[in-house]
Amino acid sequence: MGQLTLSEYRQLSVADIRDGIAARQFLAADVVEAALTAVEALDCQVHSFLEVTGEAARQAAAHIDQALAAETAAQPAGLGTLAGVPIAFKDNMNLEGSHTTCASRILENYHSLYTATCVARSLEAGGLSLGKLNMDEFAFGSSTETSAFGCTFNPWDLERVPGGSSGGPAAAVAAGIVTVSLGSDTGGSIRQPASFCGVVGFKPTYGLVSRYGVVAFGSSLDQVGPLGRSVADVAAVMDAIGGRDPLDCTSQHLDVKFVAKELLEAGVQGMRIGYVPDFLELDGLTGEVKRACEAAMANLEALGAQLVPVELPNAKAALAAYYVIGPCEAFSNLSRFDSVRYGYCAEAAANLGQQYEQSRAQGFGPEVIRRVMLGSYLLSAGVYDTYYYPAQQVRTLITADYARAFECCEALITPTSPRTAFRFGEIADPTSMYLSDIFTLPINIAGNGGLSLPVGMGDETGLPVGVQIIGPQFKDDQIFRVAAALEAVYAGQGSVSLAPLESILAKTGGDVQ
Amino acid sequence: MKSLAEVLQSWEAVIGLEVHAELTCLKTKMFCSCAIEYGASPNTHVCPVCLGLPGALPVPNRAAIEGIVMAGLACGCEIMRDSMFYRKNYFYPDMSKNFQTTQGPIAFCMQGGLDLELVGKAAEERWDLAGTEPLDVGVAQGYRTHIGITRIHMEEDAGKMVHVGGSDGRITGAAYSLIDYNRCGTPLIELVTEPDMRSPEEARAFLQKLRQIYLTLGISDVSMEEGSLRCDGNVSLRRRGVSELGVKTELKNMNSFKNLHDGLAYEICRQAEVLEEGGSVRQETRHWEPAQKRTFTLRVKETADDYRLFPEPDLAPYHLSDEFVAGVAARLPELPDEKKTRYLEEYGLPWPDAVTLSSDPALSRFLDAALMDEGGAAAVKLARPLANLLLNEVSAWLASPQAPQSLALAAFSPQSLAELAELACAGTLSSKQVKEVFAQMAESGTSPKQIVKEQGLRQVSDVDAIQQVVAEVLAANPEKVDEYRAGKTGLLGFFVGQAMKAMGGQGNPKLINQLLEDALKG
Amino acid sequence: MYLSEDDVRAIATYTRIALDGDELRAMCRDLNQIIESLRPITEYDLAGVAPTFHPIAGLSNVMRDDQPLPGLERQAVLDNAPESLDGQFRIPPILGDEGGDR
Repeated sequence: MGQLTLSEYRQLSVADIRDGIAARQFLAADVVEAALTAVEALDCQVHSFLEVTGEAARQAAAHIDQALAAETAAQPAGLGTLAGVPIAFKDNMNLEGSHTTCASRILENYHSLYTATCVARSLEAGGLSLGKLNMDEFAFGSSTETSAFGCTFNPWDLERVPGGSSGGPAAAVAAGIVTVSLGSDTGGSIRQPASFCGVVGFKPTYGLVSRYGVVAFGSSLDQVGPLGRSVADVAAVMDAIGGRDPLDCTSQHLDVKFVAKELLEAGVQGMRIGYVPDFLELDGLTGEVKRACEAAMANLEALGAQLVPVELPNAKAALAAYYVIGPCEAFSNLSRFDSVRYGYCAEAAANLGQQYEQSRAQGFGPEVIRRVMLGSYLLSAGVYDTYYYPAQQVRTLITADYARAFECCEALITPTSPRTAFRFGEIADPTSMYLSDIFTLPINIAGNGGLSLPVGMGDETGLPVGVQIIGPQFKDDQIFRVAAALEAVYAGQGSVSLAPLESILAKTGGDVQ
Repeated sequence: MKSLAEVLQSWEAVIGLEVHAELTCLKTKMFCSCAIEYGASPNTHVCPVCLGLPGALPVPNRAAIEGIVMAGLACGCEIMRDSMFYRKNYFYPDMSKNFQTTQGPIAFCMQGGLDLELVGKAAEERWDLAGTEPLDVGVAQGYRTHIGITRIHMEEDAGKMVHVGGSDGRITGAAYSLIDYNRCGTPLIELVTEPDMRSPEEARAFLQKLRQIYLTLGISDVSMEEGSLRCDGNVSLRRRGVSELGVKTELKNMNSFKNLHDGLAYEICRQAEVLEEGGSVRQETRHWEPAQKRTFTLRVKETADDYRLFPEPDLAPYHLSDEFVAGVAARLPELPDEKKTRYLEEYGLPWPDAVTLSSDPALSRFLDAALMDEGGAAAVKLARPLANLLLNEVSAWLASPQAPQSLALAAFSPQSLAELAELACAGTLSSKQVKEVFAQMAESGTSPKQIVKEQGLRQVSDVDAIQQVVAEVLAANPEKVDEYRAGKTGLLGFFVGQAMKAMGGQGNPKLINQLLEDALKG
Repeated sequence: MYLSEDDVRAIATYTRIALDGDELRAMCRDLNQIIESLRPITEYDLAGVAPTFHPIAGLSNVMRDDQPLPGLERQAVLDNAPESLDGQFRIPPILGDEGGDR
């Protein structure tokens, strides 16, 4: 037994930590100290954390170590699936005793009075909460550049964005600061940063993970999911956080174990895996991503899967539907930030109306204001029938497209993002930024689960590329089966999800806030 | 300004009501598990959901959905199998999310109605009886009319605000306001009527009837004073004979039945004056000020409100099964109208007694319990004296300070009251003795027979015994007998008093009176 | 052009966000550009297509029992508030120079 070095710690998987603690190779306390060292040494470069909850993590670790010390044959310590695993949460998830800012000035001083179900379940499973992670303000963005508290840097190249909106969760995992993290995904906010940072990110089927306690963006689109450096790690977190929660009406029972060997080692022999030829011809899809995706498809074929072309004819309207439904729900969800019960309050307003207007204008960043205003307009009398209602009808068509596609295959493969991580400030125009989510957002509309899997480095930029595996609604186990099989191929080629220390510790090149 | 009666001669008033009732009989709020408690210390029944904290999600209370379905069934509504909750978006500080969760175009309950019966003075207020049915209840005449119900939908109440620094706690001129979210999220059902009422009395009768139904269902304490029953009125005028509707005003702050009547009556007269002077009524919300007996403009509505209504994504849609609706229907108690018919037909109660008792759940529960053990003819015989006891002695006692909060907490049982009715009915006790026995029974809970036995209270109706006392009284007052016989018949009272005194107050007054008169005629 | 600056000002007022002249102009430009990108929605023939407001097909009637649970501690709740007084949230006058609604 003994201390873990930084590089030892960064290599550990969920199973390594749990088994290591159970076998008394190291203590949970050793893990937490190593994790806090990693925060100290690396996060000054990556800036993935908005708040570090070191004391809480130390206490949780001590709890595990005490249980193990007191363990007898008659009374086993009963280690949870995430025992001793350093985990951190996107800062839109309530954790009692921490701040929950959504990376917004309007919640800068807000104290969580309760804990989100997904966070509580992570901690009940033995996870050690290291803290809260950076994001685009209220999850509106694809680069984490809209955070009111500064950017997060991509651990593979500090001059580039980590993607977003779960940029903090992706970067913290890629940098090896935490083993796993939780993000939320409304249009690609777990999968796109996972692909930019070369890690695994999973958005479950809508309803598999409780949204209770996660600050809402688009209530019918939002879904919580894990990020990790392997499919097995992500599966382990899913097993801990998934399932019905009486506090979320839309949450559903979950009766599979994703981490099960028979699933992750089943292989894809005889599986039919669909691809969308139109997607691979899309304007804006870079050559290196296209080639990486085609290579992944070839690898699946080599593993015995059958590739079948499928059509998603209505996917072309998904972006528009998304930019109707998302802002409408967001407009309503963000109305509660009004300076009365909590949050930023402008000073010296003459009346409540002024206090509302000034607090919200000063507390929200420009992208938040844009989307909230857009939603407010789209729901107004007359306009509702032109955009909102038809968008929900288009949603029916998109959902039907996926259902039809899954009649002839068990999973789909697409690129995750049209390109690899871009430089800070490179995409300034909102509508161009929205295109980052072109492959990911259709399944937020349709509700299906999707996982971004790193498939090596782009042959032009040398940056991580991800492919997305999509499954039928509530058959997310099929996604894990495909992802695990494909992951093994890339592992065999020496591909890793952990960004090298030298790239993290390199001096920041860009002049960023 | 002309009187209401004058105005209604040339103008037809068109009245619709919006009635909000909090489901105060539930234990918890609409979308969270916070307790419902009127008068609790501010902000002590709050949680992430009803405070609108970031990340909180609503989960509907099954009992509230059952409650509104019950209300819908009792009001003759169609129970919609498929409906949804919507968000109504507007900023107001007592509404913690800045949207109210309510229902959209389809409510749980649609298209129902209630029949009203108006008699006597209340009926006279209506000028034109077209579309009504004549009603003769013996003691009075009137009419029966049907009031359509457009919908009853489920929503949540807002918190409470106190405005400090202005006059009379009004919002105008306040220096600041304080908010208590205890009430925020209380289940609220809103009933909207068709514009079917034609007089303020009809509006009052409708609200009273609805209140009795909700009370009987046990879904709300429907207290207008505490605000668990709130009523807004929409009123417009049109010339008699015209079918087109006039411009309406919405009237608020009618927080008692009297205020509802008087507020509407005033507003009808005000509109008539405006119209007769050649002006036009503005579409606006007006505030009834009972102290000044007039209405004031609260807010002018130039354009329709735009609440950005859209389906609530956090709540599952509703698909109510036949079993669910049948299950609620099976739990419906006997409603006031059914009860009234039963009292009239089975017990032969007079119409006013049947109406009053059937509309008061506590009194009618007592009446039914008291008669439960009695068979057909015996029940019919006892029903009237029991009704008298309930409407007189019991009601007066309940209003007195020494009475408990409710009849259910009384020391005496329905069976004891039935016993007392029986004693009164058989002539065993005089009406004065009935009052005395009731007072003792109410205080101690002792049964009337026991009280009668212990105190020897018994009305003496024995003719011989009374005859003897009469003879003694006459013998003891020869001068007075002479005076009487000389024509001073007013002295009869004196002899009655003497006889009663001699009998310790237990003589049958009717018999004493009769036998004295006979004896004095000599 | 879908929205004029006056339209944008009205939306900002409804949405309770104060925008100055420059912000209003920029917002007007951005919103018009975004709304233009939503055009595919308006070009669909959607006759007879039911809307999907809730992504889980068949989800219905999710309810809880009428059983009370303890709520939050008042002081902790008020500690988050910009201003409080006597156990309540305190706000500036609702009717000020510009007036309120409702």
